[in-house]
Amino acid sequence: MQRRFFSFSMALLALSGVLSALGASAQQQVTLRVMTHNSFSLPKETLAQFEKKAGVKLQIVKGGSAGEMLNKLILTRNQPIADVVYGIDNTLLPRAQAAGIIDPYLGPAARRKAAAPMDDKADANGVSAGVVPVNYGYVTFNIDKAWFARQGLSLPASLQDLTRPAYNRLVVVQHPATSSAGQAFLLATISGLGEDAAFDWWARMRANGVKVAQGWSDAYYKDFSKNGGTRPIVVSYATSPAAEVFYSKEKIHTPPTANLFLTGAVFRQVEGVALLKGADPTAREAAMAFIEFMRSPAVQHDLQTSMWMYPAEAQAKRVDALQQHAQEPATFNSLPGTALHANARRWLHRWNTVVLK
Amino acid sequence: MHKMRRASGCWSILFLRRWAPYMLALAPLLFVVVMLVAPTLRLVWEGIWGQDLAMGLSEEAGTGPAGNAWSIVLDPDLRWRMGWSLMQATATCLLALVLGVPLAWVLARWQFTGRELVLRLLMLPFVVPTLVAALGVLALWGPRGWLGAPLAAAGFELEETPWMLLYGNLFFNLCLLVRAGVQALEQVSSTRLAAARTLGATAWRAFWRIEWPVMVPWLASSLCLVFLYCFSGFGLALVLGGQRYATVEVEIYRLVAHELALAQASRLALWTMGLNTLAALAYAWVEQRLASPAHVTPLPRRQVTSLTQRCVLATVLLVLFMVSGAPLLAIVLRALLALANTNSMALLLNEETLSALQNTLVFSTLALCFSSLLGVLHALALHASEIAGWRKVAARTASFLPFAVSPVMMAFGLLLLYPQWSASLPVLLGAYALLAYPFVATALTAALDQLPASYTQAAATLGARPWRVFWRVTLPLISPALRRGASFAAATALGEFAVSLFLSRPEWTTLTTLIHQHLGRPGASHLDAAMLLSALLMLLTLGCFILIETHDRSVS
Repeated sequence: MQRRFFSFSMALLALSGVLSALGASAQQQVTLRVMTHNSFSLPKETLAQFEKKAGVKLQIVKGGSAGEMLNKLILTRNQPIADVVYGIDNTLLPRAQAAGIIDPYLGPAARRKAAAPMDDKADANGVSAGVVPVNYGYVTFNIDKAWFARQGLSLPASLQDLTRPAYNRLVVVQHPATSSAGQAFLLATISGLGEDAAFDWWARMRANGVKVAQGWSDAYYKDFSKNGGTRPIVVSYATSPAAEVFYSKEKIHTPPTANLFLTGAVFRQVEGVALLKGADPTAREAAMAFIEFMRSPAVQHDLQTSMWMYPAEAQAKRVDALQQHAQEPATFNSLPGTALHANARRWLHRWNTVVLK
Repeated sequence: MHKMRRASGCWSILFLRRWAPYMLALAPLLFVVVMLVAPTLRLVWEGIWGQDLAMGLSEEAGTGPAGNAWSIVLDPDLRWRMGWSLMQATATCLLALVLGVPLAWVLARWQFTGRELVLRLLMLPFVVPTLVAALGVLALWGPRGWLGAPLAAAGFELEETPWMLLYGNLFFNLCLLVRAGVQALEQVSSTRLAAARTLGATAWRAFWRIEWPVMVPWLASSLCLVFLYCFSGFGLALVLGGQRYATVEVEIYRLVAHELALAQASRLALWTMGLNTLAALAYAWVEQRLASPAHVTPLPRRQVTSLTQRCVLATVLLVLFMVSGAPLLAIVLRALLALANTNSMALLLNEETLSALQNTLVFSTLALCFSSLLGVLHALALHASEIAGWRKVAARTASFLPFAVSPVMMAFGLLLLYPQWSASLPVLLGAYALLAYPFVATALTAALDQLPASYTQAAATLGARPWRVFWRVTLPLISPALRRGASFAAATALGEFAVSLFLSRPEWTTLTTLIHQHLGRPGASHLDAAMLLSALLMLLTLGCFILIETHDRSVS
């Protein structure tokens, strides 16, 4: 047995040698290192087409959630681990800008008007600090339609309604320090109600049994009543009901969940792509091509159902799934980048004190 | 002339004997320093002396209670977190001991149908991703679970209580203690036990005087592991315990990964590392004092015959089922239901799943080989070295180092120290091996301690060279321990609990990452797909264990 085990491991070692040799030979052409968050997803064929057209080898590196990814980039800013980054959103942009990790991009994609600007300081085309918007979405409440029908409870009409006893222990949110959805939602309340009123609302929500989950997955799959939890109101995305139809068990035509657009509870998240400072100069052309690629018709079409986001390209056509089940809210909240930058950490600590401690 | 040559031969043998342990230790030592110590120190350095990276986000860095090393003692919130982390880890250890020892005894002493299967199934909780395990636990005990719903109706709500977290801790860690206990009981000499019984000792007394002392070093080693896992675990605590019962490790994770507040994180991490080291020291001390080599003729297992025995067996197995089996069964049931969902099958029947399966197998095998090699070298070096006393205790403690260091600190330290390598496969595989190899090292250390020197001395006297002695005598004798260590190492590699902290690439997607990806998207079919993949992962693991432990005495 020992001998067999030994020869088996020897064979594996040989195999790994061959594999690494193969890897080395593939690295002859230019390699473009793209840093993204874990939610990045595009069809393999679309990415392969880019590789072929640009004549590069794509190396996608996933750096955790968007916030984690940015921190990894900041930590390694002296020796960048990627040439281009996708996934910096309007909540992270001020921090990325302050850390000086972005090299502004001014190519064609930056000169076409985007459907959603990166932030309040963006130019006429929506580009801010050289970050080009790629897609956007809305963080908002989703409700479990069947639960509300069963209980005969009317839907809350405002954030204040949620603090009433009728809605005791019905809401689950994500921790703003570890979830970008959670952070966006906190910012929506601050923007919609004003800082003090917002934290007052959070204090009353705490008294009314709001549950705080670590991230979106926990909240949606563990606590949301549609998936076995007890809470029929969850912070999610405006496109989630459409995804529920798309990925349903049986063919269904109406989503089992619905958006609940309340004032002060809708945050628009705009995600962009940018060049990284100090990146490999030989990959610079490829990095610029990648930015153009992210705004190309193919990607703008595919991302709608692979990442469930709205395309930033103004001319991009909406896919059926989004057109039918993911209407955009009429109004939403956002915050100026300067306010965000000055207060983000203080708000987090204040939230922590008010809701958890 | 002839004499001189012989003398020089003697010298070289002496030289070899003196330096061999250091040469053996070189590879594991180098590996731990490069992969773990250096990156962690680098991050601590950055945190304390580097530029403040939290930048605009950090408030009054360096001043106030957050600014000094005693902040943990001064800040009531951190104090509570530290206290709670310690308390839940200790409570889990105690519970695991109370439940695990009878279980181990029954599994080691009695023969019954399905015994082997139970021993292998025991390890499955180890590979299940945390969120999936939590879904399994909640399907049972959650407010809408099979047992949780009636309890909730009766006014006992378990969600968001410390009980849930303790239950989850036990679910994941009971197997560590039981496996060690079974292994220990195999080392009890049947002659000594028979002598005690002949002299009139009751079974109970014989247990306390003969069996228990043999078990203690083994149990100490596994309890130390349970403590380290619970103290610094973070996924489970959050998912089951909720924010209030989050551990210190969660705080470190938040500070490092999301706020880049390295100074504060470093202080906290140094504290936890210190506490972890104390736990590891306690284990090393117990093992050092109590382990003694002995010739062992293991006790043959008895068939379960009487009604009382059957009742005891049923009770013990029921406890095991309630702690570790039921949540797994819930996952399997959900996976079976998901089989009927053709949409989720469509999500799975593609190239991506196949390549994830392939990656899982290749990465785990490589990590297993690498960690086994390092573990064997580590244990042999420790065994061969002539150091004694506190130095040996320190050397034993070192084998727990990879568990004592916060994985978040290590992952970000690697990024800072080797940015160009951080997204490369060797680093990822190295991380797997690092987190797996202490299992092999500690299991082998314990086995080598029990090995009487006379066996190898006899072989050497008969003219066998050291390598031959190792290959023909030592290795076969320690192989059950090697297999036990290797199965835990394999389980760790397959479950790869810390993998989300490292940089990853889509082409390296493994089953675990794929499960996380599905759970990151809305839609019933994604949930079903995650359940199916989890069941597949468990099946794969079971297959692995059967392969690794085919000829293990303690199992078959």
